[in-house]
Amino acid sequence: MTTTDDVQAPSARTTPGGPRARRRTAGVGRVSAPVALLWLAPAIALIVGVVFYPAVMLFRASRSEYSITGLYQGSAGWDNYSKVLAYPDLPVVLKNTVVWVVAVVAITIVLSLALAQLLVKDFPGRRFVRWAVIVPWAASLVITSQLFVLLYDSNYGLINHVLTGLHLIDEPISFLGDDRFTMASMIVVGVFVSLPFTIFVFIAGLAAIPTDVMEAAEVDGASPWQRWRQITFPLLRPAMLIATVLNTIYVFNSFPIIYTLNDRNPGFTHDTLITFMYKLAFKSQEKDVGMSAATGVLNVAIILLVVLVYLKVVNWREETR
Amino acid sequence: MSSTRRHIMLAATAVTGAMVLSACGGGTGAGQAAGGSGDGEKATSITLMAAEYSKDNTKAFWDAFAKEYKSKYGYTLNVNVVSWDNIDQQSSTMIQNNQPPDILNLNAYASYAKDGLLYDADAVLPSEVKSDILPTFVQYGTYDGKFYGFPDLSSARALFYNKTLFDKAGISAPPTTWAELEADAKKVKDATGDAGYAMPLGPEEAQGEFSMWLFNNGGDWKSDGSWSINSDKNVETLTFLKKLADEELTQSNPARTNRADAFDLFKSGKAGMVVGFSPLAAALDADKTVDYGVAPFPSNDGSESKTFGVTDYLMAFKKSGNQDAVKAFYELYYDKDQINAFIEKEGFLPVTTSGLEYFQKDDALKVYLDTLPNARLTPTDDPTWDKVKLAVQQNLGAAMTEDPKSVLDKLQQSAEAES
Repeated sequence: MTTTDDVQAPSARTTPGGPRARRRTAGVGRVSAPVALLWLAPAIALIVGVVFYPAVMLFRASRSEYSITGLYQGSAGWDNYSKVLAYPDLPVVLKNTVVWVVAVVAITIVLSLALAQLLVKDFPGRRFVRWAVIVPWAASLVITSQLFVLLYDSNYGLINHVLTGLHLIDEPISFLGDDRFTMASMIVVGVFVSLPFTIFVFIAGLAAIPTDVMEAAEVDGASPWQRWRQITFPLLRPAMLIATVLNTIYVFNSFPIIYTLNDRNPGFTHDTLITFMYKLAFKSQEKDVGMSAATGVLNVAIILLVVLVYLKVVNWREETR
Repeated sequence: MSSTRRHIMLAATAVTGAMVLSACGGGTGAGQAAGGSGDGEKATSITLMAAEYSKDNTKAFWDAFAKEYKSKYGYTLNVNVVSWDNIDQQSSTMIQNNQPPDILNLNAYASYAKDGLLYDADAVLPSEVKSDILPTFVQYGTYDGKFYGFPDLSSARALFYNKTLFDKAGISAPPTTWAELEADAKKVKDATGDAGYAMPLGPEEAQGEFSMWLFNNGGDWKSDGSWSINSDKNVETLTFLKKLADEELTQSNPARTNRADAFDLFKSGKAGMVVGFSPLAAALDADKTVDYGVAPFPSNDGSESKTFGVTDYLMAFKKSGNQDAVKAFYELYYDKDQINAFIEKEGFLPVTTSGLEYFQKDDALKVYLDTLPNARLTPTDDPTWDKVKLAVQQNLGAAMTEDPKSVLDKLQQSAEAES
């Protein structure tokens, strides 16, 4: 019984005139525990099957020793973890991960704010533009990444073709092979594919801002910048919160972009934790599924920690109330 | 909030989809394991996990093969063709789950033999087949005194050169020494601005490119049973490659160029020379845009050229009850009509004495066939090589910016540490 109470509590709390509303939901919506369980069973089965079971298997794999062929060799204790933590390339990988996540999320949010502002305005062809914005989101990440590999290519890439044609550069730039450009080139693609989702979150957020508040501010003589800074921006904070948290998780876990664009580069110079995990299992000389699983467990811990810290910092209970 | 939920729903759907797919894949294996688990009970169907050499031919061949296999021996062959990008991953997962395929087609076998997962030739290979396989391939397929790595096909490398670019640069014949190769690359570069020699030292197959060079300088990965990666000869070889790159006779960034990229460069007529093999020739013949020639790869001192050979393997996993079916599989695969048809379609080279005779009819293959029986391979018979190869792929390119000797020293150390 306590569980159903807990589930209903938030919705009851948000309804004005709490006690009365609660009694009503208690009368109509309340069901006995077995019946509730029956209805929840498919969802629980799904969660157990796709979240819980793989997580347990991942943890088990991280504590096992595997041969290069994948054959189970026995328990490894915490060896895989200590091997990963002592891995010479780990600092570089961690640095790359931070640069990648922070840069992509920050640039995406700033650009999306501006673009969302544009897309809520009424202009001819707005519908068409909004649809066009969705395209990078709808396209498969591998295809998008592969397209950018072609665009960036130093021998026949379109970008180099245009830049040399305009005489901005004399020699083609190897965007993906030259260490100075690789990370920046990948971040551009990361931002490109993260924009659509973020823009639409902000469009929804902007649409939810009541027009009368804006009109009142206008009547009071607030300048456009003041209106944006004092009204729009604060009211967008819930949308900002969602965009930041989801993008952070999404960008942190992004595999296809880095894997595809960084494909020709040896070693771990431009890898993030996610591609590092993959390479440990299949490409590096260790070729060790156990170490890879240990990295996977660490990754989950890291992303959970980052999100929790972020939520703590922005005080999410206040924001979402 | 609805966007959050949609996100979660999407993720959940995707994960469920993946689960269902993998469940299907796993199901076949489990069914077989159950079918052949009882003592003395014979498996009536076996699974083949084959690498995809080409989109058009590989699946078509194995499907037809499965039909023939069924009608001749009565066993069912479940064919699972997997791209090269995924096959390591899939086979590793299947072995982790204790559900290996019965036959696996891969470019390595020694680690599997070391783990005791494979049948050796005495158990599953008809004796007339074993005597037909070229001695070189038997030698490199033998681990710990037993023959486990049965070759499915082979390739040998040679020097491809662009005749149009050579004409423009005023070169009449392909190089026969490294000094000539360097001079020709320079002429091509100066006359046309294109890369003189396309050098792929990226992670895809750095060990292949380096093998071709080091064999032609009298070096090797192993000599007399111990690792010799940082031998003087090999340091000299890698230093020479670095010199070519430093003089800008290669394409830009050789350390970050994969073999496929180098081939693309040559196919678009932007490279004077590249180390190629018969499938590249087939692609060039189909495109008809580049006028090219094929020559033996030059050696450092002009002595007789050595070729780098590559073979892939069809290995058989020990599973109870599957021995007869597996034996029948090899009997049929090494039938002249089957194996030669497969190799011909895919554009590779034979692995058997009878195959060598069969392919003599093709003049274009002569340059490879003559060298094939003496081809040098990487030490695929040593399980350590499976790890050293990965280390080479990830680290050899560093020599283009660092000291070649220290790069090879590090590789030597990690090879010795693994042995």
